[in-house]
Amino acid sequence: MKNNPFFAIFYMFILTAFFSSVLIGFARLTREKVQANQQIAFERALLEVFPEIKLTSNAGVHQFFIEHFEPAPSGYIFRREGLVKGYAVPVEGQGYWATIKAVIGIAEDRQTVTGMAIYEQNETPGLGARITEPDFCEAFNGLLLNDEGPPIDIRPAGTELGVDAVHAITGATQTCTRLEKLINDGLTQWKQQQKQQGVQ
Amino acid sequence: MMAQVKSNKDIILDGLWRDNPIFRQVLGICSTLAVTNAVLNTTVMCVSLTMVTALSCLTVSLLRHWTPANIRMMVQTLIIAFYVIVVDLILKAYWPEMSSNLGPFVGLIITNCIIMGRCEAFAGSNRPVSSFWDGFFNGLGYSLILLAISVVRELLGMGTILGFAMPYFSTPYWDKWIIMVMPPGAFFALASIIWLCRSIKSKEAKS
Repeated sequence: MKNNPFFAIFYMFILTAFFSSVLIGFARLTREKVQANQQIAFERALLEVFPEIKLTSNAGVHQFFIEHFEPAPSGYIFRREGLVKGYAVPVEGQGYWATIKAVIGIAEDRQTVTGMAIYEQNETPGLGARITEPDFCEAFNGLLLNDEGPPIDIRPAGTELGVDAVHAITGATQTCTRLEKLINDGLTQWKQQQKQQGVQ
Repeated sequence: MMAQVKSNKDIILDGLWRDNPIFRQVLGICSTLAVTNAVLNTTVMCVSLTMVTALSCLTVSLLRHWTPANIRMMVQTLIIAFYVIVVDLILKAYWPEMSSNLGPFVGLIITNCIIMGRCEAFAGSNRPVSSFWDGFFNGLGYSLILLAISVVRELLGMGTILGFAMPYFSTPYWDKWIIMVMPPGAFFALASIIWLCRSIKSKEAKS
């Protein structure tokens, strides 16, 4: 019976159905927990892009997010004591291997970048995944967004930088090119929303 | 396939030393190089791989009488992928920081040659209990070498072990060898361990 080709197909079908069913059940069992972890990672990234916020425990992060961040079109408004302290713009798009999700912090002048944090990526370890390293992320602090054209620029290492540019990671050209595009797409959309609301 | 009859002692010694997956068979090198820059990451990777190998071997062995030979590798891949996804879900749900640290390497356990190698070479033709222990001790053999490499790399590179500052290595007297926690450090450490273990092994053979 084992040599019958129809048995092989039937056997593979039954095994696949069995293992898939168990996995679906297990994924459902852990779904709430995984989603809660993803939400906390997002909230933590939102707080990270404002250097004046000192990060605390997960519960503290969630509490701060609820109290100080107000949803707005294409992002969040960060308020403290009723005053606008900045804007957080979540951006996402295709990286080299998988989706990259990040948050860009912008000061109350709507021009100065206060920080950049990546909270989801699956790029090549040691190369593209280095976009999460502090040195690369901190290079975004203080950039000035361009009024015309792409808001920021990621340029090859060794080239001269303007006030709107950071250096790319050597050996991670594809990841950096995609990161630049997804950041610029998100920021352009946010700027358009700001213009439509007549705040500029 | 002819069944290989191995004593429990042989299963243990082969997995840990005589046929060690890292320094003898040179398998699973990708993850060895990638995750050994911190002892904690390495420990989690080792526990994950050991459990996946042991349980995959057990399942392959349990199904060996019904699995047609021409689709056996598809079945093995399905079983390995099942256990790897379970490990991945557990980490994502209960230890998200570790899941993020290990990144794609948890998913890549599926492609680790050690697991498929043991399923094909041993579990497909041996009893379930022996297969489980064969997978377990091969995983343990992999783990011992990885842990040795990670201790050396973290100690010399960061002056810590499991994040705890070590005497002398965390003081200003020790100029941290940052290269040890970077990719080239993994090659130096792995090559040194393979050289050391093979030298000991060849002395054993001569005597």
